[in-house]
Amino acid sequence: MKKAGLYLGIAILGLITLAAIFAPLLTSHDPYAQNLDIRLSVPFWMEGANPDHLLGTDQLGRDYLARLLYGARVSLIIGVLTVIVSGVIGITMGILGGFFGGRVDDVVLFLITTRLAIPVVLVALAVVGLLGSSAVLVVLVLGLLLWDRFAVVARSTTMQVRGLDYVSAAWAAGCSTPRILISEVLPNILSHLAVVATLEMALAILLEAALSFLGLGVPPPLPSWGLMIAEGRDFMFFSAWVIWIPGIALFVLVLAINLLGDGLRDLVGDSR
Amino acid sequence: MTPAIEIRNLSKRFHVKQGLFGKPREVRAVDGIDLALPEGATLGIVGESGCGKSTLAKLILGLLAPSEGEVRVAGQSLMALGRRERAKLIQPVFQDPFSSLNPRRRVLDVVAMPLVAQGGLSSAEIRAQSLAMLERVGISAEMAGRYPAQLSGGQRQRVAIARALVLRPRILLCDEPTSALDVSVQAQILNLLAELRRDLGITTLFISHNLAVVEHVADEVAVMYLGRFVERAPAAELFAAPRHPYTRALLASVLTPEPGLGVPDVGLGDTMPDPSNVPTGCRFHPRCPVAIPRCSTEAPPLVGGAECHLLAP
Repeated sequence: MKKAGLYLGIAILGLITLAAIFAPLLTSHDPYAQNLDIRLSVPFWMEGANPDHLLGTDQLGRDYLARLLYGARVSLIIGVLTVIVSGVIGITMGILGGFFGGRVDDVVLFLITTRLAIPVVLVALAVVGLLGSSAVLVVLVLGLLLWDRFAVVARSTTMQVRGLDYVSAAWAAGCSTPRILISEVLPNILSHLAVVATLEMALAILLEAALSFLGLGVPPPLPSWGLMIAEGRDFMFFSAWVIWIPGIALFVLVLAINLLGDGLRDLVGDSR
Repeated sequence: MTPAIEIRNLSKRFHVKQGLFGKPREVRAVDGIDLALPEGATLGIVGESGCGKSTLAKLILGLLAPSEGEVRVAGQSLMALGRRERAKLIQPVFQDPFSSLNPRRRVLDVVAMPLVAQGGLSSAEIRAQSLAMLERVGISAEMAGRYPAQLSGGQRQRVAIARALVLRPRILLCDEPTSALDVSVQAQILNLLAELRRDLGITTLFISHNLAVVEHVADEVAVMYLGRFVERAPAAELFAAPRHPYTRALLASVLTPEPGLGVPDVGLGDTMPDPSNVPTGCRFHPRCPVAIPRCSTEAPPLVGGAECHLLAP
């Protein structure tokens, strides 16, 4: 039963990913098509539901299920891309600092400390507010801000691996330093970094939703779960589902990623 | 004839900080080692834990930069060579085969790594040479596709030996290659090493704290104490007639299989040697059972391979 969380996380995340990929097959509605005649029609389990729109429609009459499915794409893509950007930055810095130590490590530690002193949401708000909102900008801003945990974990695990005999053996065998870093050090710290990647992905998805909620994330009419919650805010007293459907979707996605991360962490711990 | 390996006045000092305001202490891990070994010979280096054996190994391999002195292999200074040239001259076999093989690489890739790093060979040639060397150490082609975790300790050490020999180095440096293995496997590995040494004509440095192993493999033995060779002699001679008091104590400390005898008392007292505070005069005098007043002031003379005042005429 120890791995139940891991499997549940993989199952939910897999389902959401499949739903995002095959969104056009799951719903025939266009997430951008407005129909003001059927604004805020209720979901299927409520009185007076429109059988054509399973989860109802939003304030502009757009199909809510379609927007939810296409919105999963936005969340997942932004989450994955942010992790790639921040992972490349953080892992590079962490490995260099941990492997070389000395001055290099001093610089890396200084950069990590500096980064930790910067409030992520505030800087993200300022940058997006200054340069205008776009999905690319959200990814770049979050990627450039969320690398600290990658760097810390890569640095400490590299320090552990650096002293092992197989690194000395690679050195004595004539391997160049880049080769030692890429083929001896990196594969042996990857499992730890996978755990960080899941945490950061969940954080990035939540931050994107928060930015979108504040009107500074992805621009409308792109369907984003955070944006859907923001747009539904005015109607929440009479049509609460407009808020809680994307809210629950966000909750389930982040929960699944965190379950996956916890499971991976236990798995990595087991193999030690 | 140039010796296969020549070490001149090799020293390594570490500076250890003590607390925030403490004066840094100097640790003399290796202190003026001289050595010349002819082609094909095997030198056993013995000494207790903390005497600087492992630091000496790292210095010889170039993993640490020496504070003084140099190591020359076949007339070339190792310090002046690039990493790839050095790899072709000297290769290590480490103590623990569980940490000396990258757990994420297959056995074949582990052994092929030195060849890949050298460059200039096609992948088919690299594969063929690696498999040939693996077979030579007793690892079948079928096992070459496995990961190190799927092998036993003895098999792992065979893989480590294959990796060290695949470049056909002149010098093989074995740092306690059997001390992490079961006794039954130790003999197999030692015999394998002896066979390969004979066939390939490799000069070997064999570092160990196990006197029986050294007696078995070495032509010549150097006894190390506090970073220095205190006695060097042909193996048979050293074990039959040790000259230095420390060597005698070391040989007397060997445990016998005889039950009830307990741990032998070698008369060295309880003080441990401290490389950050090397005694003046003879470095062994505080523990020496036969020390005379001169030992604490004058550096001992080198007599017949041993550094000791008592041996002076």
